[in-house]
Amino acid sequence: MHALRFVAKRLLLMIPILIGISILTFAISNTIPGDPARLILGPKATPEGIEELREDMGLNDPLYVQYGRYMGGILQGDLGESTYSQRPVLNDLLRYTPATFELTMFAMIVTLLVGIPFGVISASRKDKLADQFTRVFALLGVAMPAFWLGLLFLLFFYLKLGILPGSGRLDGGMAPPDYITGMYTVDALLTGNWPVFYAAVMHLILPGITLAAVTIGMITRMTRSSMLSVLKSDYIRTAYAKGAPENRVLYGHALRNGVMPVITLLGMAFGHALGGSVLVESVFSWPGLGQYAVNAITYLDFPAVMGVTLLIAIIFIMVNLIVDTLYFFIDPRLKHD
Amino acid sequence: MLLDVKDLSLSLKKNGKYATILDRISFQVEKGETVGIVGESGCGKSMTALSLMRLLPEKARLDGDINLLDENIAAYSKRKLEKIRGNQVSMIFQDPLTSLNPLQTVGTQIEESLILHRNMTKEERRTRVLKLLKDVGLPRAEELVNEYPHQLSGGMRQRVMIAIAMACEPQLLICDEPTTALDVTIQAQILELMGEIKRQTQMGIIMITHDMGVVAEVCDRVIVMYAGKIVEEGPVLELFQNPTHPYTIGLLDSIPKLGQRKQKLGSIPGTVPAPGNMPAGCRFAERCRHTMDICRTTVPPMFDIKAGHQSACWLFDEKGGDQDGVVRSDELETALHH
Ligand SMILES: Nc1ncnc2c1ncn2[C@@H]1O[C@H](COP(=O)(O)OP(=O)(O)O)[C@@H](O)[C@H]1O
Ligand code: SF4
Ligand SMILES: [Mg+2]
Repeated sequence: MHALRFVAKRLLLMIPILIGISILTFAISNTIPGDPARLILGPKATPEGIEELREDMGLNDPLYVQYGRYMGGILQGDLGESTYSQRPVLNDLLRYTPATFELTMFAMIVTLLVGIPFGVISASRKDKLADQFTRVFALLGVAMPAFWLGLLFLLFFYLKLGILPGSGRLDGGMAPPDYITGMYTVDALLTGNWPVFYAAVMHLILPGITLAAVTIGMITRMTRSSMLSVLKSDYIRTAYAKGAPENRVLYGHALRNGVMPVITLLGMAFGHALGGSVLVESVFSWPGLGQYAVNAITYLDFPAVMGVTLLIAIIFIMVNLIVDTLYFFIDPRLKHD
Repeated sequence: MLLDVKDLSLSLKKNGKYATILDRISFQVEKGETVGIVGESGCGKSMTALSLMRLLPEKARLDGDINLLDENIAAYSKRKLEKIRGNQVSMIFQDPLTSLNPLQTVGTQIEESLILHRNMTKEERRTRVLKLLKDVGLPRAEELVNEYPHQLSGGMRQRVMIAIAMACEPQLLICDEPTTALDVTIQAQILELMGEIKRQTQMGIIMITHDMGVVAEVCDRVIVMYAGKIVEEGPVLELFQNPTHPYTIGLLDSIPKLGQRKQKLGSIPGTVPAPGNMPAGCRFAERCRHTMDICRTTVPPMFDIKAGHQSACWLFDEKGGDQDGVVRSDELETALHH
């Protein structure tokens, strides 16, 4: 009951946040110098032609009228038409989002599988060799620019060793699996299409790890510091006083307490990975939202920019809501208060 | 003899340097006996307790013998210590708010000792946990096992800590200021429970406190510590009626009496010397009203006052040494009438 009310409250809170974001994006995209009409018509356009197109596109109306028109469209599921691809923005988003979501989720799974164990080992072996190693590793992950790391990976694993693919989502000429979620690994699994599943996973590895490098660093460091403070706490001493061996104390008592603050960071990490996907998708020619957004901005494709921004905001807010709800269920203190 | 501690010394690393925290401490605890350890905060009471449990910080240096039932556990390996902790020796800590795992139910936390040390079925463990909860005076045990520490009051949590400590019926129970963090009425209730446990079991109990009132209530014998050393030791009644060490006298003077405003222990002027910066002779010399020359140069050994009552103060050196008898008895007079 408490949890339900909590989720409902947060969902309601989403509305003003999304309105705020939409106003902000709308204002920013309309104050950027550059005329979409001129860009569409090309260098040979006549001033009369541009003016006509502007009138057609509604660009001459006051901003608040344009905004009202846009929001009215959204309520009917119409995000406008991309001026660049000439397709409805909604269609484009449906096409590119699953690719980015798959990549980001893959990166998050890698982050959890590597970051939390590394943080735990680092904390339990404080100042020993394993700790020094993981700390350097985490620092490198956080400090290294993603595009540079991506290029290094490409150079080494794709060009030199040739053991991993370096671009796209599937091998050349391979047909995508039947569309269910749009995420190739999931769809291939659901349809039992093993060759495609294998190829999709192989293609995820390099961009996924590149994308995960920063978040692995973040999560490792957070887990380490959180575990260190937990290990100093009185109830850990109580556990030792009961006669519990070190491993039982570490994994039975410390881990769950130590992971709590890390969970709150997961939403942030996801947002970070989502943002990082723009660069990583370019490096690995990953046909996702990131590439779509870069194109949209380059061609002053305002409906597309608005669509991508709102979508990313929604994903980010939803992920944070899921994470907070998770926290709510894991920590008994929140459940009862 | 249940516990025989011989020449226990402890050094801890602080700011890269080792400092002596405990200096050749010796004492005994008999079966069924409750021994109080008193002294101002920072004098090494908790470190004494943690030494007995071998729960010291990582870089601690421990010397001397800790004989528990004729086994020197100071030399035990990690594995062997795990078999003793929570089983033969249990400990109750000062702060019940932070000493319980916030993410585990009360039942799980009590049950853990049984899982670690007893060969019991799940059903047997559950029965035992419920009985323990009733024994420490907690109502609605059936519901309590599924509750989390944050749902309980401070006093209830300390009762849960006691239940955890009692789970495997240890021979020695170490209580480190078990009532300090609680309000006065709850303090009294917990002390009452401790007294009951003491009467009903044959456990030896070490009761650490800075509160002479607690000592008077539950202890048979008292050890007075000052700056990492034992300065006086004796039966409770004897020590209260006939305290000899100037530090003990100061401690007893600082107990608030009826109709008097509560004073702090710090009513003894001066401060405790810091570990690693101890004076050569008596550690109390800086604050003592009776300091003599020998006090500043030579550490006083334990002098016998009566059977079972000893005091580490040069005022009680029978042989007199350099001190002439007149001065000493004068000093004694003032000391005793203060
Ligand atoms: N982890 C530690 N490292 C170094 N010194 C410590 C540590 N913990 C306590 N000490 C020092 O040990 C001395 C005794 O502390 P403690 O046993 O906690 O005193 P008490 O329980 O009597 O108040 C104090 O001087 C304190 O500063
Ligand atoms: S030995 Fe000396 S300084 Fe120490 S308590 Fe006794 S009289 Fe005071
Ligand atoms: Mg203490």
